[in-house]
Amino acid sequence: MLRPVEMSRVVVAGSKNVMESVVEKLHELNLMHIVNYTGGADYFEQGKTMGKGKEFSENLIKLRSIERYLDIKPKAPDVRFAESQIISQMDDLLGRLANDVTSTYERITAIEAEVKSKQDQINALRPLAAIDLPIELYSGYETLAVFVGTVESAVDADVAKVAPKSEVFTGSFKNTTVVAVFVPVEKASEVQAILAEHGFAEISVPKLTGAPDVAIATLEAEIKRLESEKEPLQKKLKDLKKQYEDIILAADEYLSIQTQKTDAPLRFATSENAFVIDGYVPSADYDKLKSALESTTGGRIHVERLSESEMEELVEKKGEDIPTKIENPGIVKPYELITRLFAIPEYKEFDPTLLIFVFFPIMFGMILGDVGYGIMIILVLMMLKKKFRTEGWTQLINIVMIASVWSIIFGLIFGEIFGPMGLWGKIFGQLPHEEILALEESGRFFGEGVFGPLGRVGPMGMFPLYRLATNAVLMLIGVSIFIGVLHCGIGSILGVKTELNYGEKKHAYFERLPVLIFQVAFALLLLGLVLGFMPLVYLMGLLVVVAIVMMVMGPEGVMGATHLPFYVSNLISYLRLLAIGLASVGVAFAANKLAFGVIMPMLSGGEHLTMVAYIVGVIVLLVVHFINLLLGILSPFMHPLRLHYVEMFTKFYSQHGGGVEYSPFGHVRRYLKV
Amino acid sequence: MAITDAGVMYGLLAVGAGLATGLAGIGAGVGEQGIGAAVVGVVAEEPGFLGKGLFLMLLPETLIIFGLAVSLILMFAWSPFAALL
Repeated sequence: MLRPVEMSRVVVAGSKNVMESVVEKLHELNLMHIVNYTGGADYFEQGKTMGKGKEFSENLIKLRSIERYLDIKPKAPDVRFAESQIISQMDDLLGRLANDVTSTYERITAIEAEVKSKQDQINALRPLAAIDLPIELYSGYETLAVFVGTVESAVDADVAKVAPKSEVFTGSFKNTTVVAVFVPVEKASEVQAILAEHGFAEISVPKLTGAPDVAIATLEAEIKRLESEKEPLQKKLKDLKKQYEDIILAADEYLSIQTQKTDAPLRFATSENAFVIDGYVPSADYDKLKSALESTTGGRIHVERLSESEMEELVEKKGEDIPTKIENPGIVKPYELITRLFAIPEYKEFDPTLLIFVFFPIMFGMILGDVGYGIMIILVLMMLKKKFRTEGWTQLINIVMIASVWSIIFGLIFGEIFGPMGLWGKIFGQLPHEEILALEESGRFFGEGVFGPLGRVGPMGMFPLYRLATNAVLMLIGVSIFIGVLHCGIGSILGVKTELNYGEKKHAYFERLPVLIFQVAFALLLLGLVLGFMPLVYLMGLLVVVAIVMMVMGPEGVMGATHLPFYVSNLISYLRLLAIGLASVGVAFAANKLAFGVIMPMLSGGEHLTMVAYIVGVIVLLVVHFINLLLGILSPFMHPLRLHYVEMFTKFYSQHGGGVEYSPFGHVRRYLKV
Repeated sequence: MAITDAGVMYGLLAVGAGLATGLAGIGAGVGEQGIGAAVVGVVAEEPGFLGKGLFLMLLPETLIIFGLAVSLILMFAWSPFAALL
């Protein structure tokens, strides 16, 4: 679990006349991660597409274009089809349906283009309506130049100066002046210069006839007609989508599988009569692969597993990446999402998913720590689970769900149901007033709630721990930092082991190990100081010095010791477990106090609770708690995420760059029957 | 001006604690602003970078925790300061 699945480097070789059945079998097994042949060996070259490969890929392109026109996207499958069903309907899909869809879609696009051009014409005509000349009069002259457009100031006088034989029509449209200037052709360039001075912007006059108003009305009527033609066409596409969506997705899957198979030889090394496939297989499945291939070819195939050292050599000399297959039990699996979000581990590294599964929910719970909020989140997620069924969402929902269970557990420890002191006291009871005062007096106040008849439990009657009490804050500071020591410590241990896996002894013992010693010793030193237990302080001080010396002796030399502030800040960073929690308790506490302590008594004026006071109080309570809950999902999620990514992963993870994920040759069928 | 009143002393400590957390928060915010914008840019180009982007964006967050640590020391371990009176 903590390590990726063990892989074996495998070579499959055989004669070309069994290639097709080998490909078929490999695809069915879905086991072998193929290493692409990149050339370089004598007598071997890249293979060629087999059989009907070209036809399949052409069909796939055709089908994909239908999918685009119909706006079909991958979705959770409703119905599954048998392959024979797909093959028998393929001609219909790619012939009749494709033509129908394409012509409908093209007609819609044509209509849209036409509507757009008519709209442009209308926009050009609107200002011309202010001048009210028939449109055909703007063009078709041999001796006249015509300028139509908007200007910023009046032009008549200036135009008349350069071209006495001219005519200027002026109108106004929406705060701008529209002009149509008719001048003799030989004066055109001079007039143009004059117009430019007046901020002339040309309007291109559409080639139409009649008065602008009438033309606009005609165009508008035509747009309306086109729109009414478009509507049933769009509805037709929608209906077709509804009818054919499932089978098109299944056909897409079928064709993808076929092209995958026919294109497979492109990844093999082939000679005139033989082929060689390189790849990786999980070691546990090697025998299964071997016997399956041998039985399907009647023994006319050679399957060989390379030794550990040969595999090592390929990685080092040819830069091959051993694929990483991370495997975790069902309940841990959702947390792979968090691992993947950062990087896939390399084959020799550790898969941190299990650690995330252990620590992440505890941290989430410790920050949120409220029975009421925990139950609310679980209820909401149960509803969402039915709606969001894609893999990513399900994983995310499961992560938060497990974390919420921890939030309920910590809620019991902290004595919080929708904030401290509210419902808890009503349900589980609380200490009498005099006893609270006595506890506060003696400085041993950890909260006032009780576990029903059990009373307060734990050393010094610590639980339920009221998080806003001074004693509790001080204790939680210590707890947070020691969770950090544990968390980082495990990271460091994995770091040492990872470096050893890579054979980097110096890095392991003088870079990773001193971090572990330093962080543990530093935290214990602080503990010694707080407790005033001097022997511990001296011993740990010594260890801190030893760790620093080791760092200086490490591969980075004196620079190694410059990372010290980072390791100290690593530990302090865990204070957020306390701090974010305090903020959320604070808001919940304020909500309860505001509603019960301020608004309700104030509105009822000291008498018995009035109806209005009750309603207003409850509304305030709901709103503030709702906001707190929203924040209460976000920050307890983000901050532990950071603690994992920044504080823990830096100790051991992806120091050598991310890995390549194991993706075996094959296909997991979603829309086709297996 | 010598401070002789424990109440004034405590009040000043509280102001100091508030400033420590508040200013550290502003600092962390300023730091994250630039990184955040850059990360959004990168993720728009390449969604696979989200995890590493988050990692980079959350780095300056420790700053505010430092401020908070100082505040906590001021508020809860203030007896050494009281001894100055």
